[in-house]
Amino acid sequence: MLKEKEVIIIGGGAAGLAAAVACQEKGIKDILIIERNAFLGGILNQCIHDGFGLEKFSTSLTGPEYAQRYIDQVKEKKIPFLLNSMVINLNSRKEILIANRTGLQHYRAKVIILAMGCRERTRGAISIPGTRPAGIYTAGVAQELINLKNYMVGRKIVILGSGDIGMIMARRLTLEGAEVILVAEKLPYSSGLPRNINQCLYDFDIPLLLSHTVVDIKGNGRISEVTLAQLGKRGGIIPKSKRKVPCDTLLLSVGLIPENELSRQAEVVLSNITGGPEVDERGQTNVPGIFACGNVLQVHDIVDNVSLEAEYITEGVIDYLQGRSQEPREFQITLGAGLRYVVPQRILTLKNTIFSFRVNQPGIKKTLVFEEDRKIIKKKLFLRVNPAEMLRVKLSSEELKDVKRLKMRLV
Amino acid sequence: MKAINKHYNVVIIGGGVVGCAIARELSRYKLNIAVLEKEADVGWGISCRNSGVIHAGFNNKPGTLMAQFCVEGNKSFAKLSQQLDVPYKKIGKLVVAKKKEEIEKLQKLMDQGKKNKVENLQVINSDKLKKMEPNVQGVAALYSPNTTITSPYLLTIALAENALGNGVKFFLNTKVTGINKDRSVFKVTTNKESFSAAYVVNSAGVYSDRISRMAGAEKYRIYPCRGEYYVLDKNASWLVDHLIYPVPHAGSGGLGVHITPTIDGNILLGPSNEYVKKKKNFSSTFKVMKMLASESRSFLPSISSGDVIRSYSGIRAKQAPSSEGGYRDFIIEESKAVDNLINLIGIESPGLTAAQPIAKKVVDIINKKEKLKINSTFTPFRKGILRFDEQDEETKKALIEKDPDYGEVICRCEKVTKKEILEAIDNPLGAKDLISIKYRSRAMMGRCQGGYCLTRIIELLREKYNINPQEVTLKGNHSPLLTGYRSDEVKIC
Amino acid sequence: MNREFVCIICPNSCQLKVEYEGKTIKKIIGAQCAKGEAFVKNEITNPLRVFTGSIKVIKGDFDLVSVKTPFPIPKKYLKNIGKLTHSLKIEAPVTIGQVVAKNLLRENIELVATRKAKKKNIS
Repeated sequence: MLKEKEVIIIGGGAAGLAAAVACQEKGIKDILIIERNAFLGGILNQCIHDGFGLEKFSTSLTGPEYAQRYIDQVKEKKIPFLLNSMVINLNSRKEILIANRTGLQHYRAKVIILAMGCRERTRGAISIPGTRPAGIYTAGVAQELINLKNYMVGRKIVILGSGDIGMIMARRLTLEGAEVILVAEKLPYSSGLPRNINQCLYDFDIPLLLSHTVVDIKGNGRISEVTLAQLGKRGGIIPKSKRKVPCDTLLLSVGLIPENELSRQAEVVLSNITGGPEVDERGQTNVPGIFACGNVLQVHDIVDNVSLEAEYITEGVIDYLQGRSQEPREFQITLGAGLRYVVPQRILTLKNTIFSFRVNQPGIKKTLVFEEDRKIIKKKLFLRVNPAEMLRVKLSSEELKDVKRLKMRLV
Repeated sequence: MKAINKHYNVVIIGGGVVGCAIARELSRYKLNIAVLEKEADVGWGISCRNSGVIHAGFNNKPGTLMAQFCVEGNKSFAKLSQQLDVPYKKIGKLVVAKKKEEIEKLQKLMDQGKKNKVENLQVINSDKLKKMEPNVQGVAALYSPNTTITSPYLLTIALAENALGNGVKFFLNTKVTGINKDRSVFKVTTNKESFSAAYVVNSAGVYSDRISRMAGAEKYRIYPCRGEYYVLDKNASWLVDHLIYPVPHAGSGGLGVHITPTIDGNILLGPSNEYVKKKKNFSSTFKVMKMLASESRSFLPSISSGDVIRSYSGIRAKQAPSSEGGYRDFIIEESKAVDNLINLIGIESPGLTAAQPIAKKVVDIINKKEKLKINSTFTPFRKGILRFDEQDEETKKALIEKDPDYGEVICRCEKVTKKEILEAIDNPLGAKDLISIKYRSRAMMGRCQGGYCLTRIIELLREKYNINPQEVTLKGNHSPLLTGYRSDEVKIC
Repeated sequence: MNREFVCIICPNSCQLKVEYEGKTIKKIIGAQCAKGEAFVKNEITNPLRVFTGSIKVIKGDFDLVSVKTPFPIPKKYLKNIGKLTHSLKIEAPVTIGQVVAKNLLRENIELVATRKAKKKNIS
């Protein structure tokens, strides 16, 4: 038996919750959120640190508090949701198969919003040599074990990767009484937000070793030592710099990967660079009626932007449901020097469009230039740019009028 | 405190795939059999760390036990797997020649195969190769349709569970510390209890030389030779449909990287071939990982580094030192120095394929001396854990209705349900480590490597065995995952 | 003395280059608003931080509630508060904002819950 729905949202985390609330506020009645965990809120539940909501709510909230604001709205608005339910199949006809303790359920939706978030890059995926002992965790798993399960993972910690999760965990572990020996970062600059370097590392005198990485792991049962090495300008290991650091835990914060296995099943085209679906300015993928928002689309650093992005795509969802979707028009976006990626990858309607992008390198006083055939459409100056911080710039319908080949570059 | 002497007809030292196969074969007879395994589970040596290939037998020198047992093992593998409820697939292998000069080698391999009575071998040209494998570059190939793949860890576990069901006793975490003989009775001392036995079978793999010496028998020497692997994401499985091996080259300096699809849908790259000093040096090395990446790309340019999900390695028990290279034939015989000690020395590839034939030979050796009586209650059949994801929809629905634990997907990447994990935790051998649960259920083997399911599995494990957080271990005693609760930790030793 | 600070007052995260002597600021470069200077003054005299952590819940549907200090507290107290959380408990139900601990370290430091916990259903 196939149940029909107007909108099904896969994932009840920050993106899914914001999308659900926004859809309901815009008049959609028939919504269903599907969440695999026993609770809504996704990763926010374990992000017990503050700093969330500065933009959205003008105050600094912890992750659970931020999530609760949306969960309260979902409950007030009586938006249906399924917990402990895993989507095991999704196809391009927007048919979903869900598994939970009551059985298998088939649904078909007019609109699917992908909000599955992302997973962490693992030790195996970055090929760190050495043994495979206990005591190696990705930072998010360690965070879950400590913050949700009340466990302690170790006492003498080395952290690889200066991404935000790694730095947050450096502070968390220190406050829990462990010794965080150092944070190593293979790039010559930190991959996390500057305020985290301050509050998580400098505050506790935890050394940050830039251009360093782990080149060996020792320990048979439990990890006993890592070998650090410095990287040269071209990324090669400087042999003389190798040194052994005894420890009992290695935490990895080496990148997030949008979790798009279901999207693949649905024949959604993914971008090699973002790891997420290629979308138009309304968040719609190449499959009509399948939209994406949040970390599954592109890895975010600030949850406020996730909520804004989710709210933003609901305009496209409404357009689609009301039959107002458009044929792809001739429009090309090319990226010039200095930029790693931009979302969206294509434009349909030339209405106000928010471009989210990241730069390749840290820099000071950089200008983002939008141009077509050398004619400048808009410029925006940034005092400081950093690959760790996603940037967003809006182009209005006026500015986008008649544009066919948009080029973005950083000067 | 070493206690109670228990008397067994046969004590098997080493619970690898061969030791467990021997246990199973012996359990067809009325015997008291014990398997002593030093690790916390069966198969943690080379048995779980190989490519999972059931070779056809064209790679082995005619007239050797390796050749004979390989061909025999390959022929009887379907029947064995069906009895043991272990997955297998007759996927076929292509030994690919990249240059014209290599075609002669293909012909030689085919001739060797024919001598070993391997069936259906053929040399195919580049057109046929292109049709069979559009992504592989080569000028010709030897096609071996009988080459089969299986899950080496499920096979080892299944052999053990079947033996257990037929009365064999398994002693895990039991390391042999001494073997003495008093008249015609062996006394095998371990870190736990002592065992007395009429026969001792030495199937200790990489440590078989030590066991032989301990018993005062031949002074064999085993040279550990490590093989490293890369495991690729299932999303890369479209790249090849068969096993792809390059033409073997002595002294080429390269690895001769094999591309091996697994029974679960991943692809293995490797193994390498490096003599190491320590018998348990399972480290992955930068040098080899780099070579695996570049050599496999020369066969399959579409492989990307993003496809790698994991590395692992195994240690071969080689009789030939690195100066000699190559390999020496299996030694499976009663010791000439110590009666009733049966030594298995140098069981490297095709050890997995040959496991059952080797076991039968060991039974033969004992049978000739003892005239064994048949065990009428023996059953060759054993059921494994039902894989929910492999069932059709109707079956899935029925399973969930009968047991809602089938409806809770815990390992998202591999779609493993709570029921399967509970069954893996509650396994007949009593193995409690996370690796044991991983091998039996497939949880944590996916691309996120336990990122989602680890915390859930820890809870289920703690619930079942009523253990404290610091008692949850990855792979045996000295591998705790946690120090305890946040508030009352224990120091990690 | 010269030092760089990252202002944490707002998402701009201005990177401030500061020259100061003792507790007197001589020069600040990089602030986009006045709050930056106030922040730096604080940082060199009495740096304050919000503490976040978790404490155990008794009889709840959840083992832990996350907690925070409702206001920033002197940085030097953070580790000690962290240690204290190991021995703190609260009985369910717990609401967000509920005070779960008072007068910690005898410094009038409070902890409030940032997560709710319902009473466990014993069915």
